[in-house]
Amino acid sequence: MSVLDQIYAKAKEDPRRVAFPEAMNEKMMQAAFETGQEGYIIPVLVGNENELKAAIAERGYDESVFVIVDIHEETYKQSVIEKYVALPETRLKEKALSRRMEDPLYYAMAMQAVGEADVTFAGIDNTTGDVLLAGQMIIGLKEGISTISSIGLCDIPGFEGSEGTLLAVGDSAVCTNPNAEQLASIAISACDTVSALLDWEPRCAMVSYSTLGSGKGELIDKVTEAVKIANEQRPDLAIDGEFQFDAAISPAVAAKKVKRESRVAGRANVVIWPDLNVGNVGVKLIQQFGHADAYGPMLQGFNKVVCDCSRGAPVSEIKGNIVISAARAAGSRQ
Amino acid sequence: MERAELEAKVLEMVAASFKKDAADLTTETSFKDDLGGASVQMVALVSEIENELDAVLMLADASACATIGDLIDLIEEEM
Repeated sequence: MSVLDQIYAKAKEDPRRVAFPEAMNEKMMQAAFETGQEGYIIPVLVGNENELKAAIAERGYDESVFVIVDIHEETYKQSVIEKYVALPETRLKEKALSRRMEDPLYYAMAMQAVGEADVTFAGIDNTTGDVLLAGQMIIGLKEGISTISSIGLCDIPGFEGSEGTLLAVGDSAVCTNPNAEQLASIAISACDTVSALLDWEPRCAMVSYSTLGSGKGELIDKVTEAVKIANEQRPDLAIDGEFQFDAAISPAVAAKKVKRESRVAGRANVVIWPDLNVGNVGVKLIQQFGHADAYGPMLQGFNKVVCDCSRGAPVSEIKGNIVISAARAAGSRQ
Repeated sequence: MERAELEAKVLEMVAASFKKDAADLTTETSFKDDLGGASVQMVALVSEIENELDAVLMLADASACATIGDLIDLIEEEM
């Protein structure tokens, strides 16, 4: 069974409620409908009820597949606001939240924050910045996490790693130049993401141009400091480094270069880049020379699963990302 | 609201969001150089301004402010 098949099966086993604040968008509505009809999710359309119903009819979809939430219906909105402001450590108070909820993106996230939805899926009309801001403001960051970041899942033909052809890498898309604390957050979030999505036991390597002190300099110091912070924050996770990339994923190289016990060296299933220059180039190398399929980027660090899809994404890609998000939400509940 | 009162409130909010002592902050304090501003803290600050002062700021506009004084000017425009 391919990795995507596994993820699809996981989503179907426990369909999660996915809120769509941009459902009037034709591609988004089609993707929501098809993933709902195929049994992967329960699609919750958030917007103007009359407009949504008219669009559903006009586009020929079966309305019973959707749950429709009208942002102008005051009773339900008020119940969401009351539950939200009663939560510990939320940022917005009643009046400010009510005003923000006039925007379906914020409305959907408020629903998610209070448990009325499991995922917010947006990004086709809103920019990445809009989605990240709303997510930080309404959903918030996980305790101890200092930055939003992302990981991608690479399926690399011919690669014989500790998870077969699969390797998770991050951050290749969001956090530009993380400091040591942020780099530690990226590693911790990545471990939690692969654990929720793929049921892996994460073995996370923080990579650099040096292996355990073979080089010296501030670029390496940042990575070693990040490993230390991550291990202090989450001693339950196997996060190790600094390793060169080959020492991270190749048992033969690790045997030569890593002269101490490590649960990660040579068998990492998660690789954390030191910054976005490396991350972006790294993932392109894997795609171009490794002929890999790369899934993602999956946003991580939020208290709950938020997905920002590409504005140019075709329906097939949107559907894949919806199902991945739903499977993550299902995995987070276990 | 008088400028002095607004300044005092914003200094308190910046101190809370960036976990600093308000006594160490002035309108000349630089977000980048003195506070090492990250977007997470700026989101907290924008939310607090929205809650307490009823001024809705765009994060991008708030993040473009060099000093706390610049931010207060922006808030005055929005109030």
